[in-house]
Amino acid sequence: MNRPNIRFRQVGRPLTRTDAPGKVTGRTPYAGDYVMPGMLHMGVVRADIASARLVRLDVSKARALAGVACVLTAADLPERTASTDIPGQVGQKRLDTGQQILVRERVRYFGEPLALIAAETRDIADHAMELVEIELEPIPGVYDPLEAMKPGAPVVTAPDNIVAERRIRKGDVEAGFAAADLVVENTFRTPFQEHAFLEPEVGLAWVDENDVVNIRVSTQVIEHFRPIADAIGVPHNKVRIRGALVGGGFGGKEDLTVEVYLALLTKRTGRPVRLEYTREDSFVGHGKRHPFILTYRTGVTKEGKITALDVTMVADSGAYVFLSPYVLLYALVAAPGPYRVDNLNVFARAVATNNMFTSAFRGFGALQACAAYEQQMDEVAQAVGLDRLELRRRNFLKTGEPMSTGFVPPSAIWTDQCAERAWAALGEPAPAEGPRCVGRGIACYQQSYGRLTFLHDTSEAWVGVEMDGTVVVRSGVTDIGAGQVSALGQIAVEVLGVTLDNVVVYNSDSAVTPLAGTTTATRALYMTGNAVKQAAEGVRARLVDRAARAFGVEPDAVDLGDNLAFVVDDPEKSMPLVELVRTCGAEGIHRSELAMFRAPFTDFLDPETGQGQAHPDYAYGAHAVEVAVDVDTGEVEVLKSVAAHDVGQCINPAAVEGQIQGGAQNGQGYALSEEMLYEEGRLITPSFSEYLMPTAMDMPKVECIILESRSGVGPYGAKGIGEPAMTPVAPAIANAVADAIGVRVFEMPITPERVVRALKRRDEAARSGPVA
Amino acid sequence: MYVPFELEMPGDLAGALGALAAGTGAKTMAMAGGTNLIVDMRAKRERPDRVVGLGRVGALRGMECGEEWISIGGGTTVTDLLQSKEIAEAAPSLVESSRLFAGLMVRNTATVAGNIACGSPAADLVPPLLALDADVTLASVAGTRTLPLDEYFLGYKRDVRRPDELITRVSWPRLPQSSDQSFINAFYKLARRKGDAITVTGVAVTLVVAGGVCTKARVALGAVAPVVFRARDAESVLEGRALTPARIDEAARAAAASSCPIDDVRASAAYRLHTVEALTRRLIAQAWRRSTDQ
Amino acid sequence: MSTERTIMLRVNGRDEPGRFPAHRTLLEALRQIGHTEVKSGCEKGDCGACAVLVDGMAVDSCLTLAWTAEGAEITTVSGLGDLDALHPVQQAFSDGGAAQCGYCTPGIIIAAKAIIDRHPDPTEEDIRIGLSGNLCRCTGYTKVFEAVSEAAAIMRAGSDGR
Repeated sequence: MNRPNIRFRQVGRPLTRTDAPGKVTGRTPYAGDYVMPGMLHMGVVRADIASARLVRLDVSKARALAGVACVLTAADLPERTASTDIPGQVGQKRLDTGQQILVRERVRYFGEPLALIAAETRDIADHAMELVEIELEPIPGVYDPLEAMKPGAPVVTAPDNIVAERRIRKGDVEAGFAAADLVVENTFRTPFQEHAFLEPEVGLAWVDENDVVNIRVSTQVIEHFRPIADAIGVPHNKVRIRGALVGGGFGGKEDLTVEVYLALLTKRTGRPVRLEYTREDSFVGHGKRHPFILTYRTGVTKEGKITALDVTMVADSGAYVFLSPYVLLYALVAAPGPYRVDNLNVFARAVATNNMFTSAFRGFGALQACAAYEQQMDEVAQAVGLDRLELRRRNFLKTGEPMSTGFVPPSAIWTDQCAERAWAALGEPAPAEGPRCVGRGIACYQQSYGRLTFLHDTSEAWVGVEMDGTVVVRSGVTDIGAGQVSALGQIAVEVLGVTLDNVVVYNSDSAVTPLAGTTTATRALYMTGNAVKQAAEGVRARLVDRAARAFGVEPDAVDLGDNLAFVVDDPEKSMPLVELVRTCGAEGIHRSELAMFRAPFTDFLDPETGQGQAHPDYAYGAHAVEVAVDVDTGEVEVLKSVAAHDVGQCINPAAVEGQIQGGAQNGQGYALSEEMLYEEGRLITPSFSEYLMPTAMDMPKVECIILESRSGVGPYGAKGIGEPAMTPVAPAIANAVADAIGVRVFEMPITPERVVRALKRRDEAARSGPVA
Repeated sequence: MYVPFELEMPGDLAGALGALAAGTGAKTMAMAGGTNLIVDMRAKRERPDRVVGLGRVGALRGMECGEEWISIGGGTTVTDLLQSKEIAEAAPSLVESSRLFAGLMVRNTATVAGNIACGSPAADLVPPLLALDADVTLASVAGTRTLPLDEYFLGYKRDVRRPDELITRVSWPRLPQSSDQSFINAFYKLARRKGDAITVTGVAVTLVVAGGVCTKARVALGAVAPVVFRARDAESVLEGRALTPARIDEAARAAAASSCPIDDVRASAAYRLHTVEALTRRLIAQAWRRSTDQ
Repeated sequence: MSTERTIMLRVNGRDEPGRFPAHRTLLEALRQIGHTEVKSGCEKGDCGACAVLVDGMAVDSCLTLAWTAEGAEITTVSGLGDLDALHPVQQAFSDGGAAQCGYCTPGIIIAAKAIIDRHPDPTEEDIRIGLSGNLCRCTGYTKVFEAVSEAAAIMRAGSDGR
């Protein structure tokens, strides 16, 4: 592949992120740290039954409590919905994703909001919440997507609970199975997952001098100002979202959370209002990862070549649609993984239930597909008697080959190198001792970066140079903790030849920073990084042009670096950047540039065959682990965790490693310990003492192997790492557990209890002996 | 948190007992580290009218490690236990359970008395203390009484402590360590993750071995019944005998037979029965092996 | 209703008055008087984001009543060092990429300080056990472990030099 030998000054170095000093000193204000004089405090009253009819909602005692400023119920609101808007969504009919703002009559999930309270203090708001009298009449609900598809099942979403259905029909699957020596079929289940960002949803809203509703909020998407305006019935230019550094997102702050409630109450009271979710609110206040049931039927030859693949997927979309159709589409496209499968059928459905609604979560459907296809690859390898890595080698999709949708990804596909490197890095196996069995697993993946191309995604950025040579970047991008802002700064200063301490990135204000789109879908660096690079290059071109005239050389003979403009072949000829900028200023040469980066625009995939382009490009890599399993208790300890990813080009290697290591934690929890349990739709694991993500005692040190093909469509050939970092982790662990104990647990999380049950199954099978 | 109450913070034990005895008609609760009570109040599971904070009662702190007995104040924190070399030698099970007890900040404030008084079947310090034959001393303005910890619990979150009483001390006899007899004291916490987790199955074991014979056995089980309890059937299988794999197996089965766990968010009853047997077997076998290696 | 009382909290070396009812937690009180560097993540001792030092001991401020902290020396992450003079732990976290979204960071740095105070040369086990009450969703803890080790090394070198 094309690997230009670029000498970077700022890009590619593990620089201290611009946001780090503020965070380690506690100086950084988060959305919840803002207060205003006269501010009211809000609380949300919620339903404690998942499927019910609201018979009576009496808020008179709450309203009467001294210090209560306002109580709102659906009866006080016009019939509007709050939809999950997809900014820039064109190219297909907008899906009806609207949900009621407050329950009017029908409760569809546990925790659905019934009333909003604003009071002078948080104590008073809490007290008033206890005074609301609620009468709910239970209605039979449905809590399993397979049940929900059966005739006669309770209807959550009319007519048949199926909220989305998608297909791939590629090649000739029947012929493919006919050509197979062996057919392997398995069903895998993946669970709900909670994002568990440490900062619960929070915001502060007020009405300004222009009658604009301002909301300072922790969000991944400032462009929700549009659906917020629609929900409260004001024009789009009368809502302004100001973000803040976000205390973790992972997709959980991609939909609307507290914004509409805040907007309603600040409009109603004319006072600033603040709403901070409790952790328990947060557990029911944003969508979860979709649980999937995935059945894989693989045809394979004795030589280990996959001849056909038939996949059925059912996703639990919960009580409201949210982003389910898109999550399902990602799963569909990812169904065969990073493998060449010419004969492919995929049939995927998202089904409404009375469970918690499900929406975006790091990996976005493609992760659930990976959880299945990588376990299936191990099962296939075992069935044909091939080494697990060798089976994969024989089927890897290679650079320039068409993927599931027939699209040929434009970048390099280095899955093979990543897999070899990750596997080798596991080193010498740990010894098995006593009740501890040791096993290893690997998983490879394909994960998109950038949004669905039929959404016609764009991102804007403005770059300017101040009169003292410092650099300003303006972009609406939100920073959800991955260092998005710092990376943009690093790109701008690379282009303009200054150091990172000379840049300030103003971001995340829907009224004054150019709209950059969402920080989701592993798109911020790809989209906004490209926009910043374009804008900075526009500024640079004018600066260099002016310097070239001063030096009496051609512009391409001039470079910018170390706060100087200089002639490359004659560095004695130089001028401080400050001087050059002042000259430009004096002469009216524009020192700034607004750029828009456009992703590829495509039509929607063919609805019958699923063929076409779905995403701009894809990332590839592998994760390998070694585990110890206690065969008495079923406890699983992850001993080693190694990731190898082709990230295209690192902008900041420390930040890339951080993404990979964090993804390893998210994936390990998903595989082993994180479990949302419901009883008739009622969440019984609503806090961090029941919902168990890995702690410092559970995580191994995660080793990162970073490959750079410089072939991606992001700035300098970068790909994306946010979602890819997590995608292969859980199946690698599942494969390692199966390797350790010789039997597979087909349902995640792989709890100690499920391991013990699988071992019993294994031992019973061994006792009954081979079937004659 | 909105749970209005009056807070008193007496500076000595007499003041604390007086405060608990006062307040007729008002629901009064003692608060040691507060790591349970504040969580319960926030969740509105507890709504006291008066809270008596014990943080300034110095008399509740302090450990005395004598020749015959070890006695620790009820206000001893989990961190105090974890950092004590004396306790590490005399009661390794207690240090192991302290090590795996919640997180650093909770260990720094949670107390021995609080862990006992909360009455949870999953209270992590209780199985080791039961396996050490600990006594608890209760004090009130009416006087003090000392009883075996084994007799302290009456049922799920029910105990013999009156609302005006405090657990002031927890004491246990030193286990014998000499040329002709030795002890092994161990604890295993099984949970859904390693750090900061609530116990699914907890097993504490003490064996005293002399002349190749198990002269004393204590097996205490956590989170597998409404209360933490001693598995006496298992103990009697072991005491007075040299241990064989068959005998250890019998004890493990007896331990499981005396358990009556429930299904909850952490595990099923069946899994708890399976693991209480497996872990009892493992801990006794390891203990016996170590005692015979010595 | 609870009685309200004006108490003096000594935070980062300064006496700061505040009027609070008995049920007010130290977390709520500190944030109310402007110490927003102390973060609220769960309000029940599961996550450690609100950790502060009280008389040198790390505690969850959400599980501490404000009144009980009167008279104690309270140290928040901002009391350890500031932008122009980072504490070695803060420096190691900043340089080492151990803060991502940064919301858990104030609590983790407090726990890290407490670990190093107790174990100047901490083993990996010391660090893991010491941090088990601090949840982080971004870093996977790897860079946090490295930063704590690095900070301890810097502090040992500093104390040897004096």
